[in-house]
Amino acid sequence: MSILLRNIIRFVLLLLLQVFVLNKILLHQSVSFNIYMLFVLLLPFNLPRPALMLLALLMGLTHDMFMNTMGMHAAACVFIAYLRPFIINILSPQGGFETTQKTPSMTSMGVSQFLIYAAILVFLHNLVFFSLEVFNVGSFLYLLLKIIFSTAASIFLIVLYELLFFSRK
Amino acid sequence: MRNLIIFLRRYFNFFLFLLLEVICLVLVFQNNDFQKTAYLNSANNISARLYERYNNVEYYFHLKATNDSLVKENARLHNMLRTSFDTVILDNIVKNDTMRQYSTDTARKVISTSVRRYLYKAAKVVNNSVTNPINYITIHRGSADGIRPNMGVVGPSGVVGIVRSVNEHYAVVLSLLSKGRNFGTSARLSHSKEMGMVRWHGGEAGYATMEDVPKSVHLVKGDTVVTSGYSAFFPENIPIGYVESTEEVDKASTSFNIRIRLATNFYNLQYVYVIDNLLQDEQKSLEDSTYKLIKQ
Repeated sequence: MSILLRNIIRFVLLLLLQVFVLNKILLHQSVSFNIYMLFVLLLPFNLPRPALMLLALLMGLTHDMFMNTMGMHAAACVFIAYLRPFIINILSPQGGFETTQKTPSMTSMGVSQFLIYAAILVFLHNLVFFSLEVFNVGSFLYLLLKIIFSTAASIFLIVLYELLFFSRK
Repeated sequence: MRNLIIFLRRYFNFFLFLLLEVICLVLVFQNNDFQKTAYLNSANNISARLYERYNNVEYYFHLKATNDSLVKENARLHNMLRTSFDTVILDNIVKNDTMRQYSTDTARKVISTSVRRYLYKAAKVVNNSVTNPINYITIHRGSADGIRPNMGVVGPSGVVGIVRSVNEHYAVVLSLLSKGRNFGTSARLSHSKEMGMVRWHGGEAGYATMEDVPKSVHLVKGDTVVTSGYSAFFPENIPIGYVESTEEVDKASTSFNIRIRLATNFYNLQYVYVIDNLLQDEQKSLEDSTYKLIKQ
């Protein structure tokens, strides 16, 4: 399966999962399950940055359309798309990741590296998104708790996703 | 120019990032009402605080009007109290001002019908004294407002006095702080139900004496002394004061004199309620005619 097709399928799948399953879950007001940004995390390594950001914008805006939160998810997605190469640079070993696999995953990066990569970006995403959503400095503690809990929930979901679609190549 | 282009190309990613973020944020603030209002609100934080400060000052100048409205409200509520009504058999009397009580079950039958017996009227105190042997209070309510002599006057926390004389817009109230036999009101200990008379014997305005209390009484310090309802001036159970201590007049006497702390603070009396006992004349004329019968 070509990388393009795989990413298109992932785009649709994650969006459907996010909108019709995860957004219906109401566990607690300070936890929200977000996994759609995994699309940005799993885009190929060698994608140029402008393309990365534009794809993130597309993903964010599509999700925003469903959620009636025009621009909020998009802003967060573009933010992590911009920072993604920096994080990968920091985490990559001397010679860069092996290029047998072109997308970031547990196998191509190593479990711990991938988890750190995902954790940082998910945290940054949630930081931007919830700051925009809550938009109130007064409820700072609530905001902080929401970011932390939601990040934990997202990472949990991402690990589940990775284990489900584990590719051993 | 070339440098500019080089500069732009070099930081192309960053500028694209900024551009996209700006687009996103514009979308956020254009489409979401909450962010707009939240922004306006936080910007208004300063002005809101200023407004509050301003109102704090301004409030002082409206205290008068505020008080007036509160007192009116209280008078209205007093008039709705159950103690302001009297139970009668309604077979042959028709009164307009009545309070009906219904049973609480689904039938909602009329259990009893009460007619109004006491009517409270709010009045502003315009003159007051506490230092004289006989103290008078002037209130800004007169015959034009239906005030007549011999009406009971109570304050927010307890008994104040009795209306002595009236002209068109003012009335003079004989204060509870009137020495000796000038003023005495029938009182009852709310705990043990013993009767007595409350009188003031001069001195401090905060204390009075409850006289002629039987020695059998079980006294509790702090027990409330309330009106007995025997006098035609006051309804039952209006606080007069609180038991402070007993003083024995002499060993041979059969009664206690109880020192009570008055419920009403006469030093800062501002508003009082004049109680119109609608059945007072009836009670009085009946009692008087009976006395005359005995005298004859």
